[in-house]
Amino acid sequence: MVAHGDSSSSEKKLGNGLNDLPTFNAENLQQNMKTIHYSRTFMSIIGGVVAGIFGFTGLKGFVLYFLVMAFTSIGLMAKAKFSVHSYFDSWNRVLLDGLFGGLMSFVLFWTFAYDIVHIF
Amino acid sequence: MAEDLVLDTAIRDWVLIPLSVVMVLIGVLRYFVAKLMRSSQTPDAKMVKEGQVILRARNLRAAANFIPTKAFRARKIYFCNEENGLLFVPKGQAQNPQAQMFSDPNMAMDMMKKNLSMIIPQTLTFAWVNFFFSGFVAAKIPFPLTQRFRSMLQNGIDLSTVDVSYVSSRSWYFLNLFGLRGFFSLILGEENAVDDTQRMMQMGGFGMDPSKGLSAEKDNLDITQHDWALPNFEQRAETVLKKLVS
Amino acid sequence: MVTKTEDNQLNRLENQVDNGGGEAWEYLCLVRKLKLRRSEKVLRHGLSILNDPKKRSSLGPDEWTLYEQVVVAAMDCQHLDVAKDCIKVLQKRFPESKRVGRLEAMLLEAKGLWDEAEKAYTSFLEDNPVDQIIHKRRVAMAKAQGNISGAIERLNKYLEIFMADHDAWRELAELYVSLQMYKQAAFCYEELIISQPTLPLFHLAYADVLYTLGGLENLQTAKKYYASTIDLTGGKNTRALFGICLCTSAISQLTKGKSKEDKDKSQVQSLAVKVLEKDYKQRAPDKLPQVTTALKGLTLSS
Repeated sequence: MVAHGDSSSSEKKLGNGLNDLPTFNAENLQQNMKTIHYSRTFMSIIGGVVAGIFGFTGLKGFVLYFLVMAFTSIGLMAKAKFSVHSYFDSWNRVLLDGLFGGLMSFVLFWTFAYDIVHIF
Repeated sequence: MAEDLVLDTAIRDWVLIPLSVVMVLIGVLRYFVAKLMRSSQTPDAKMVKEGQVILRARNLRAAANFIPTKAFRARKIYFCNEENGLLFVPKGQAQNPQAQMFSDPNMAMDMMKKNLSMIIPQTLTFAWVNFFFSGFVAAKIPFPLTQRFRSMLQNGIDLSTVDVSYVSSRSWYFLNLFGLRGFFSLILGEENAVDDTQRMMQMGGFGMDPSKGLSAEKDNLDITQHDWALPNFEQRAETVLKKLVS
Repeated sequence: MVTKTEDNQLNRLENQVDNGGGEAWEYLCLVRKLKLRRSEKVLRHGLSILNDPKKRSSLGPDEWTLYEQVVVAAMDCQHLDVAKDCIKVLQKRFPESKRVGRLEAMLLEAKGLWDEAEKAYTSFLEDNPVDQIIHKRRVAMAKAQGNISGAIERLNKYLEIFMADHDAWRELAELYVSLQMYKQAAFCYEELIISQPTLPLFHLAYADVLYTLGGLENLQTAKKYYASTIDLTGGKNTRALFGICLCTSAISQLTKGKSKEDKDKSQVQSLAVKVLEKDYKQRAPDKLPQVTTALKGLTLSS
C-alpha cells in the first residue's frame, strides 16, 4: 500500500523531464520538485500513522521514518527510471529534499495515532 | 515510570480528537478566508516595471549561455551600467519602505489584512484552547525527551514530576500548528506552502524593498560569466543525426 | 503552452461536443484555460448553453464568464449582433464594470470605428496605466489598421514596462520580420531564447533571421542555432536540416580560398543531407529527386 500511494502521486508529473544535462526546463524541474515534496509529505503522514498504530516508540519510530523515506527515494528513482539526471539536477534532490520537512508531520501523526490507539 | 500515568479515555474523546479536528478545520477555513480577502490591487507602473526588470535579468542570468557573447554583453551593459542601467539604483534614492507605506495607505491596508488573517484566527484558537482545554495532559509522544523540552511540551501544567514525554493540551495545539503544515499542503494544494513560520519572519521585515532586489540582481548579473553553450550543440546535433542515419 | 495530455483531452472533448454529446461547458472551460482560438465552436456551443435557461442558470456565477467568452468569439466570427446582445446582458448585470467597458470598446473596434475604440482604450489607460490587456488591444488595433510601425511603437512602449512578457516579444519579432528589420528581430529572438531556452522554435527563428542577415559571423552563428534546433527536436525538424546545409554552403563560399577550419564541420552537413534524404524517401518519395539535386548543388558549390 505504501509503495502504491507513492507511485500514483508521482505518476502524472514525472514524465516531462528533459534528456540532457545542461538544458533544464525550469518549469518542469519545479514540477518534479513539487512532486517529490508531495510524495514525501504523503509518505511521512502515512508512515506516522502506521508507526503509531503499530505502537512503535522511541528510536524504532525514527528508524521507521528513515526507512520509509529511503523507500520513497527508491520509489522516486524507479519512477525516474534510475536516470536521475534527466529529471533532476542532482542526486541530493531525490535523496534529501524534504527529508526534514516531513519529520514534523511524521511526529505529529505518529503521536496522534499512538495516543489514540495505545495510551488511553 | 513512563507507564504510571493513566489517562481517561474521555480526554481522548473530548480533548485530543476535537482539538486536532478543529485545528485542521481552522486551517482550511483560513485558507479560504485568505483567498477571499486577497485584494486585487492595481500596482503602479514603477513597481510592475521593477518586478519585470528583475524577472528579465534573472532569465538572462539563467540562460546567458544560450545567446551569443556579443548579445549577452550588450544586455549586461544595458542592465548594469552605472549611468542609466535598469538595475542600477542611485544611492540615496532607494526609498525607505516605511516612508513608502505612509505615502500609500493601500499598501499598509493590505499588509494589515495579511497580518490580521494570520493573527486573528491564531489568537482566537489559542484563547479557545486555553479556555476549554487548559490543564489537560492530552497526549504522550512516543519517544523520550530530555528535561529541557518540559517548557515546550508541558506548557500550561506546572508539574515537575510528570515524565517529559507527556504533552499538555496547549502544547498539543502548538505541535499541531507546526506539524499540520505538510498536511495542508497535501489537501489544499501547494500555494498554501507559505507557512506561518515564514510569514512570521516576514512580518519583522515589513515587506520587501524592491530596490534591494534590484541591486542584488545587479550584483548577481555582474559576476555572471558568459560561456556560450552553442558550439557544443553542433557536436550534439551530430550525434543526434548519426543516430538517425544509422 | 499546451501539453500533450491537455491536447488529447481537448480533442476528445471537441469530438464529443461536436457529435452532440454533453460536457460542452467543460470544453469551453478548457478552451478558455488554454487560451485557444476556436471561436466558431465556442460561439456555437456557448450560445447553445446561453439560450437554454436551465443550463445557463446551473452555471451559477460562471454564467457571466461564459457571456464574456461568447462575446469575444462572436466578434471574432463577425457576428456583431450576437456580441451586442450579450454585451447588453452583461451591462445590465454589471453597469459600472470596466471589463464590460472593454468588451464594448472591442465591439467598436470590430465594427471598424477605430477612433472611438481608441478613445475608449485611452480613457481606460488613464484609469489604470498598467492594464496589459488594453495595451495589447491597442497594439492589435494598430496592426489591424495596417499601421505596422505604429504597432511596433506601441509594443515597444508596452515592453518598456512589461519586459518579461515573452508573448509580446514574439509578436514584436514577427512584426519586425514582416518589415524586414532583421537586426531588431534578432534582438527580440535573443530575448525569447533567454526567456525559454529550451524551446526549439525560437532557436530556429533566430537562426533564420541570422541567415537572412548574412555575413560570415552571422552565418556561423546561424549554423550553430540550426544545430541546437536539431538537437532540441531530435533531428525531426526539416527546416533546421535544410538550414544547416544552406549555412554550410554559404559559409564555404565566403571563406573560399582561405579554408582553415571547415574540415570537421562538414560532417554535420553530410549527416543532415543523409537524414533529409532518408526522411524524404519515407514520407514523400516523389519529391526525392528534386531534393537530391538541390542538395547536390549545395554540396558541389562548397
